[in-house]
Amino acid sequence: MLESAHIFVLLGAFGGLSLIVCARMVFPRRLFFASYLNFTLLFFASIVVSAFASLAYGLWILAVVSFLAMREYLSLIDIRLQDRLGVFGAYLSIPFMYYFIHIDWYGMFIISIPVYAFLAVPLLVTLGGRESAGTVFSIGAIDFGLFLFVYCLGHIGYLLSYSIWMPMLLILSVAICDLIAELVVKRLSSVSTSFLGRLFLPLPLTIGLSWLLSDWAGIPLIHALILGTLIPPLAMMGQRTGNYIKADLGVSGDALFPGRGQILDNLKSFFFAAPVVFHYIRYFLK
Amino acid sequence: MNASVVSSMLRKVVHLFLLRPVLKLVFGVNIVGREHLDALDQCIIIANHNSHLDMLLLFHLLRSSKITMTHPVAEQVYFSRSRIIYAVVDFLFRPIWIVRGHPETGDPFGGIKNVLDQGHTIIVFPEGTRGKPGRLEHFKSGIGRLVSQYPALPIVPIFLSGPERSLPKTSFLLLPFWNHVIIGPPQTYQGSHRDITRFLEGILIGLSCSESARRHKRRKKKHHATASIAFLGIDGSGKSTVSRAIAEKASEDDSVCLISDRLVFYDRGHPRPMQPLVSDRLRILIGDRAKKADSLKSYKIPKLAELLLRDHLYHEVRRWYDPGLIVMDGSPLLNMAAWVALFENKSPGRSSLAKAIGIMAGQQRDITPTDPVFKEFPELIQFRRLRLDKLVMPELIVLIDVNPAVACRRIECRGAFRQVHETEDKLARLREAYRLVCAVVGEHLHVPVSIIDGEQALDDVAARALDFIHGVFPVNGGDDASTH
Repeated sequence: MLESAHIFVLLGAFGGLSLIVCARMVFPRRLFFASYLNFTLLFFASIVVSAFASLAYGLWILAVVSFLAMREYLSLIDIRLQDRLGVFGAYLSIPFMYYFIHIDWYGMFIISIPVYAFLAVPLLVTLGGRESAGTVFSIGAIDFGLFLFVYCLGHIGYLLSYSIWMPMLLILSVAICDLIAELVVKRLSSVSTSFLGRLFLPLPLTIGLSWLLSDWAGIPLIHALILGTLIPPLAMMGQRTGNYIKADLGVSGDALFPGRGQILDNLKSFFFAAPVVFHYIRYFLK
Repeated sequence: MNASVVSSMLRKVVHLFLLRPVLKLVFGVNIVGREHLDALDQCIIIANHNSHLDMLLLFHLLRSSKITMTHPVAEQVYFSRSRIIYAVVDFLFRPIWIVRGHPETGDPFGGIKNVLDQGHTIIVFPEGTRGKPGRLEHFKSGIGRLVSQYPALPIVPIFLSGPERSLPKTSFLLLPFWNHVIIGPPQTYQGSHRDITRFLEGILIGLSCSESARRHKRRKKKHHATASIAFLGIDGSGKSTVSRAIAEKASEDDSVCLISDRLVFYDRGHPRPMQPLVSDRLRILIGDRAKKADSLKSYKIPKLAELLLRDHLYHEVRRWYDPGLIVMDGSPLLNMAAWVALFENKSPGRSSLAKAIGIMAGQQRDITPTDPVFKEFPELIQFRRLRLDKLVMPELIVLIDVNPAVACRRIECRGAFRQVHETEDKLARLREAYRLVCAVVGEHLHVPVSIIDGEQALDDVAARALDFIHGVFPVNGGDDASTH
């Protein structure tokens, strides 16, 4: 059961974040990290809800995040009209995967997307129409989106079912990395200093955070410290991959409209960090 | 409170608290240029039409006070197919119902004028119907006629992108995709209704281009990797000159190969040195022999060989150099078809000629040797036996049509050796044959054909040919949101 300190920290962080988001709505000036806060708030909401209400509701909030990300990605890519059946299948696999997390069926969760969805989508794409040109691209594009936005993000959900402080550790560490990356990229011009800055500047903060949270999350200190060291490079890998995807999809960093790369931009750091952190914890601690 | 007030309040509630949140949360709406619409009290909204969601999306843009004062123009017959749908649409949007094709009902704009005179706003889809998904169709002239009667009323052009993916015309499966709405600045325009229609179409095309420029596009194959254009015409029509000019011009965008008396590659408007091909050398030798022939009989065989080699050259060029465009001065397939008419001294029926051309191009392998077409053209049997029935059918044909007398004069001016068939009488028959072949190919085999008058200046001929080519192969990929 939650101790009063836990409740205090949780509600304090959630309330503070909500206040900032509300302030943004009242004063619609472009604030620093504009839409990033919304997604951090959604993650926090899922943690708070699963702490006070039930895990199921928290998972459904994460499913909504996956849906929003998937919808944005599918709207960005150039799909053919006959791929719509495949897209339907991709949307449909979101509730299924989160349901498997909910009933704690690990084996099915881990293969639901890479085996069943990845087989169903190609079939559905071919059932959608008679035109064969472009099939490989369509299957690849839909499956890839499913992998990043549903499967990789879904690992946060499974982490949530272990303990609410594990995803908290992940989300806060990634937020620190993103914040520093944002600050560093604007100030450092040279590639190598920017690289080193993004890699090493978050390290003390993430290690400190994991040391603080290790007890609550039930992670032995040594593993917590390793995780704290692991997250910044993983977040960087995600950022790099995300930036390349963004560039190919024609999303420019300075003009992120809703529905045009905003979500992809905000979630890119989780692509590597979420699955790797989850599997680290599962392998060593469960 | 009477019934109409209640129903309009109910309509407002449904729009504000049911449809808008659903549209926003499930589909996502991104609006650019909202201030263009908010500032206006009354206007005519025009938008592209791809999906039934378009109407919902346009109502999403309105200020809440305007919901009951805005009316789309809709065709009654289409929505009357189901009584429930008719009732729902009528309740939600209060459309101005239009009945098409009944001129006896009076002024077709009567209903629209009533509404506009009350100070209400109308929504018009000038394309008339939901066209092919993602493509802007030509506007119907109705919008021009309407606007010309209200010259002071601002017209707000709106481009919608997204509904054509969420709910395209061909599908009932509703899927969530982001909708992007671009609201252009309000326009007023005075002039003839044709000008107004064209003007508004141009504005919507502009909006669609700015939208599609930001869209991700999967890399296309070079869309004209196999593109081939053949220039036909009798000797002295100037087809060699024109085809060279076209090759030079087209090479500014892509690499071009010209198969004429000589094989030339063009890159950025200039000839480019290439490794010579053996079959080209052979063809030149044989071609020179044909030109020096002193009777039609001794002309026939070398010319046939030259044509076959020319066709072979097309495949060689594609295999070794893969140019973006192949411009052919003459087409072996169609030249042969025309020569049949010249030598046979009779005019074959159109459908059998189409069949014969199809056989020579290898498109109709399922025709058995007992078919009557083989009786009419006995050469085809030999042709098939020698496995020559794989001649290239050009994707585009330009026939430069010249009066034989003019052609003869041009040949005389050239001063070169005159070939055996270059007499006015023979050229006249050849011209007729070319025209017949082109008509047959265009009609029965669906290849775009343009017949250009060759008696004007050759620059003009080339310009018109280029217009035609760009009409069929747009310069930068033709599958953008607009195809104009």
